[in-house]
Amino acid sequence: MAVVSAPHDVSAPPTAPPRPAAPKRGRAGAARRRAGMLMLAPAVLHALIWIGIPLVAAFVLSFTNYDVLTPPRFNGIQNYVDALTDPVFRRGMLNTLVYAFFTVPVAMGIALLIALMLDTQLRARALFRTAVFIPQVTATIAVALVWLWIYDPRNGLLNAVLAFFGIPAQNWLSSTTWAMPAIIVVGIWQGVGLKMLIYLAALQSLPKDVYEAASVDGASKTRQFFSITLPLLKPATFFVFVTSVISAFQAFDLIYILTDGGPANTTTMMTYEIYKSAFREFRLGYACAQSIILFVFLLLLTLANRRLNGGDSGRH
Amino acid sequence: MAGIDLGAASPRTTLDVVGRSPATRRRVSRIALYVVLSVISVVMVVPFVWMVVTSLKTPTDIAATPPTFFPTQWAWHNYADALAAAPFLTYARNSLVIAVSHTAINLLVASMAGYALARLRFRGSELVFLGFVAALMIPTYTKIIPEFLIVRFMPLFGGNDILGQGGTGWLDTWWALIVPGAVTPFAVFLFRQFYLDLPVELEEAARLDGVSELGIWARIMTPLVKPAFITVALLTFESSWNNFLWPLLVTRTDSMRVIQVGLSVFRTENDTQWAFLMAGTTLATLPMVALFLLGQKYFVRGFANAGIK
Repeated sequence: MAVVSAPHDVSAPPTAPPRPAAPKRGRAGAARRRAGMLMLAPAVLHALIWIGIPLVAAFVLSFTNYDVLTPPRFNGIQNYVDALTDPVFRRGMLNTLVYAFFTVPVAMGIALLIALMLDTQLRARALFRTAVFIPQVTATIAVALVWLWIYDPRNGLLNAVLAFFGIPAQNWLSSTTWAMPAIIVVGIWQGVGLKMLIYLAALQSLPKDVYEAASVDGASKTRQFFSITLPLLKPATFFVFVTSVISAFQAFDLIYILTDGGPANTTTMMTYEIYKSAFREFRLGYACAQSIILFVFLLLLTLANRRLNGGDSGRH
Repeated sequence: MAGIDLGAASPRTTLDVVGRSPATRRRVSRIALYVVLSVISVVMVVPFVWMVVTSLKTPTDIAATPPTFFPTQWAWHNYADALAAAPFLTYARNSLVIAVSHTAINLLVASMAGYALARLRFRGSELVFLGFVAALMIPTYTKIIPEFLIVRFMPLFGGNDILGQGGTGWLDTWWALIVPGAVTPFAVFLFRQFYLDLPVELEEAARLDGVSELGIWARIMTPLVKPAFITVALLTFESSWNNFLWPLLVTRTDSMRVIQVGLSVFRTENDTQWAFLMAGTTLATLPMVALFLLGQKYFVRGFANAGIK
């Protein structure tokens, strides 16, 4: 910082005092624009090859029959018809929505509650925050393996704890009733920390004087929460919602380790069906159509939330 | 700050006639708060403790019904045995190489791009920025099949001809593991936010001093956004180390496997060896937990920043 403060005094040009930031013309401007393009080029090139082309390719391939070995053959909207009428993929869509419901809005509610509890003068607040956040930084595969062992019907921790309270043991992951709740619990357990953290940061940046004014006016704590806190948390809620929906719709690792989509497809997800179609059955065109459907789901949810929540006015 | 402050409560109750019940209520609710938060914290942490204690149990302890929480005999040799049973160290080394490469490339390429988008605007750069924001929204699963095909048919690699036929392309190579995931739109986005906040006088002064644009970025602006670099580094390293599906798809041989894939393969091949599996899982988890505890401030700031700005 000291390096630049010295020349700054000397260099103040006498002719143009408060000039706007970006000069549009001139040799200096041209050099700057060229530098900008060059510095942007590697990232843009990378994004074109590994995001742009794949997106277009997925769209194009979704209208073909393709098995890697023979060239793709155009088959119109057949893949989409097949996907939307296939009972297993439909089950996957339903399961994804159920999983997303519990790991997004429900988990957001839990996260907000924890954040509110932590947004007080507490001893050991950092310790609580760390505990809640730690599952977020650990790999889903590792976490899933640990829970697989916790859910183990014979020697698992869960059944042992339940037995202590006199509750009979369950075969959690092979039960058509319990497999989905078991996965949802792990999903909430792992994802609640990030949501809590964002809410906590947002809560701590809320203006204090509004609350003082409200207290003077006699507004109750509950009233303050619903008429001040929640509206002020809108940008955070929007962000948490979008990122959580994206990750909920892409749950894969948990399913891969815990249930393999079973029993009887009760835990299969859209992503899992895409994976199976593409890399177990080698129906790549069909898998691309499924992946476009997934994309459309995400787009619709994001747009709907933007509408409902009044958008993300605070950002960029 | 005081959690259970006995000294402060008594004078207040003597002064205030009706004050007894609010003060007690406040203390009770405070204790309730601690209890609830403690229960939540235990639920969050117990699986990790269970993982570590399992990794130190003997086969007898593991098969015990009901299980004891702590081992009756601490089997420290499980770690040596697990490393002998599967090449977990090779897996971990591979993961480390990839995570370090991703971090280095992402820091360089994304910070340059973020800087250009924030400070070196040109016609169309706003459009490029919107492109990156849109790219944030595209699900991995929509890109992953074509990405796999690009890797598989990469011309002139792995025995492929110029048209990408005849060989295996980048499959089972470092290229496939490192290149496609090296730059993330999220990092570009985050860097842009940080560079936007710097005062314009700095860069203009340097420019009048004849510092090149690249020099302004590297020597003047970048040192001021160190927190952004630490944040992006931690987040990139974490997601790279934890990545599973992509390395699963593009690797075939044991020597190219990463730790997460290695763990899942070990599980399917050795279904009942829970102690070894948990030892491997502990090895895969500890670096991230340690990294998080060390850089907690930056993790928090990174996630929170992205959420609030």
